[in-house]
Amino acid sequence: MLDILKDQFWFSAILTVVLIGAIMGVVAYCIYFERKISAWIQDRVGPNRVGPFGLFQPLADGAKFLFKEDIIPANVDKPLFLIAPVIAFGLAMIGFAVLPWGGNVDLDADGIIDVTAQVADPGIGLLYLLGVGSLGIYGVVLGGWANNNKYAFFSAMRSTAQMLSYEIPMGIAIFVVVITVGTLRLEDIVLSQIGEGNVWNIVLHPFAFIILLITIFAETNRTPFDLAEAEQELVGGYHTEYSALKFGMFFLGEYAHMITGSGFITILFLGGWHLPGVPGLQPGDVSIWAMLFKMTVMGAKIVGFLFLFMWVRWTIPRFRFDQLMRLSWKGLLPISMILAGYATTLVYLGKATNIPWALGGNVALLVIVLIYNGLRSGEITGRQANLPAIARPVEAHS
Amino acid sequence: MNTHWSSLVYTTFVMGALAVYLLMPRAGRSTNIAGTLIGMVALALAMFLCADMFVGTSSGNALFYASAVIALASAVKVITDEKPVYSALYFVLTVLAITPLLILQHAEFLAIALVIIYAGAILVTYVFVIMLAQQGGRPACDHRARQPLLAVVGGFLTMAVIAGQMATLPDEQAVIVAAAPAPTSDAPLAEPDNTMQVGSVMLTQYVVAFELAGVLLLVAMIGAIAMSQKRIPSEKLVEPTKPPGQIGREVGPY
Repeated sequence: MLDILKDQFWFSAILTVVLIGAIMGVVAYCIYFERKISAWIQDRVGPNRVGPFGLFQPLADGAKFLFKEDIIPANVDKPLFLIAPVIAFGLAMIGFAVLPWGGNVDLDADGIIDVTAQVADPGIGLLYLLGVGSLGIYGVVLGGWANNNKYAFFSAMRSTAQMLSYEIPMGIAIFVVVITVGTLRLEDIVLSQIGEGNVWNIVLHPFAFIILLITIFAETNRTPFDLAEAEQELVGGYHTEYSALKFGMFFLGEYAHMITGSGFITILFLGGWHLPGVPGLQPGDVSIWAMLFKMTVMGAKIVGFLFLFMWVRWTIPRFRFDQLMRLSWKGLLPISMILAGYATTLVYLGKATNIPWALGGNVALLVIVLIYNGLRSGEITGRQANLPAIARPVEAHS
Repeated sequence: MNTHWSSLVYTTFVMGALAVYLLMPRAGRSTNIAGTLIGMVALALAMFLCADMFVGTSSGNALFYASAVIALASAVKVITDEKPVYSALYFVLTVLAITPLLILQHAEFLAIALVIIYAGAILVTYVFVIMLAQQGGRPACDHRARQPLLAVVGGFLTMAVIAGQMATLPDEQAVIVAAAPAPTSDAPLAEPDNTMQVGSVMLTQYVVAFELAGVLLLVAMIGAIAMSQKRIPSEKLVEPTKPPGQIGREVGPY
């Protein structure tokens, strides 16, 4: 048994099966906790009928998805209609393949590293995650278009514009990390935050962390960026015409995407499986128990982010579309570009991992941005009344 | 050996051209079945030719054949499918199927950049434009290819000339492949990443071209922003009045 596990291929295969099972479970319970947390925030009880504390509610939901009538409306583009949920769900799932869950492992304690606790370890792991994320848009676009529903198509349009806009500040925020640590391999990014004199990247570049967090909210279509699912305006969103398990796949895909995004930001900024000063979580700890401990810590960080996602969803109202676009193009983009320039300068000066320089620059930039926004004359966001006069012909008023 | 080889290559191209011509959308009787059959034979021939030239691990070979077949078939569908949306989506599939080929050549950075930039950003907007343009049903021009014969002959002639040049090289190819270090089965799973080499070459050897491309893109972006502004003659303008019920910072404290 152990001999099979010592081969990276079989270890990866087994890890894949375990991860898919674990993530499906987490996704199912995400829905339960989403409802519990929303109930808690809104001073309600939440699901409490199925099992103790409603704990079996995900099973009931799953059974409901399975047994509902699976409707394919007339006049849909059938092949695309059928493949869109598969794309959305599949692309949300394959992102897990490159996340480093537990560092190097020495299974039989003979001092030789046998495997690494991740499914695949490509040198371009970070770009792989970005690529998978940028393809995720096709599920939404095809779903919205194929079901031949104007509202669903509006939703897909919004979603596309949003994802394309937020991919840019996201890429630049990631660039800040990449230029600081100098590698694209996710395991190396984790290791670069560990050890003597190294700190988590959030200490070096907290502003980049904030930008990445915001853009991940947008990329996963979560409130306050869930314009694609604005029920008040769009009936349901791009999945309006989907029923039963096809809707369920979009739904699960969204949560799986949240987990990938959380893992991503954990690895980039919060040291992945590492906690400073805790024995068992250092790169030198390679026993199988240390691996499980590291996986637990990584999972706990991800769950923390999932809670943040839900907390924000039930606290902050949704943006309007122009506010959304303004935030990305006029807010995040210039700030992240300044930040990228600053990080590049630090690398040039050889002070990339120098805490006072990096952190000081971030804090200074944050203060400057806040002061600038505070002193700027107020921008009326109601109906863009103070747009330059160009865009308002007479006919619109008479 | 060489003439035999060349005749095989040119036969493949003639059959491919015939298949694409037959698959083109046309007004009269559909010739799709004949086109598909000939196309499959041409694909098999092409793969047979590749088998002579390509040496690698067995899993690498399997990946090569699978993605090459998908890439070629979906590339044909890009130009022969009657629905423009499907054409664009087959283009996406072509790009995605080329990615494994690049990875097999140890060009991981190029592969993923292709996915992020082409499939993830540019083609999404293409797909969108086509989807928006198709609101009122498909026009007649989608059902009939325009000048299919000329296009097929021109395209395949170009390709055949290029491939014919390469096809005179099978002996040298074998030498090149043999000279390269053969991948061993106990090589580490992680491929050596070449991102750093790409980056350093781009910023040293090709820095001028790189900077010029950057400037070009910047100019294009500014041009797009300038063109998207709607121009209204000045006599038609009114001073913007404040619409009722707006929420903003000018609303006083209650």
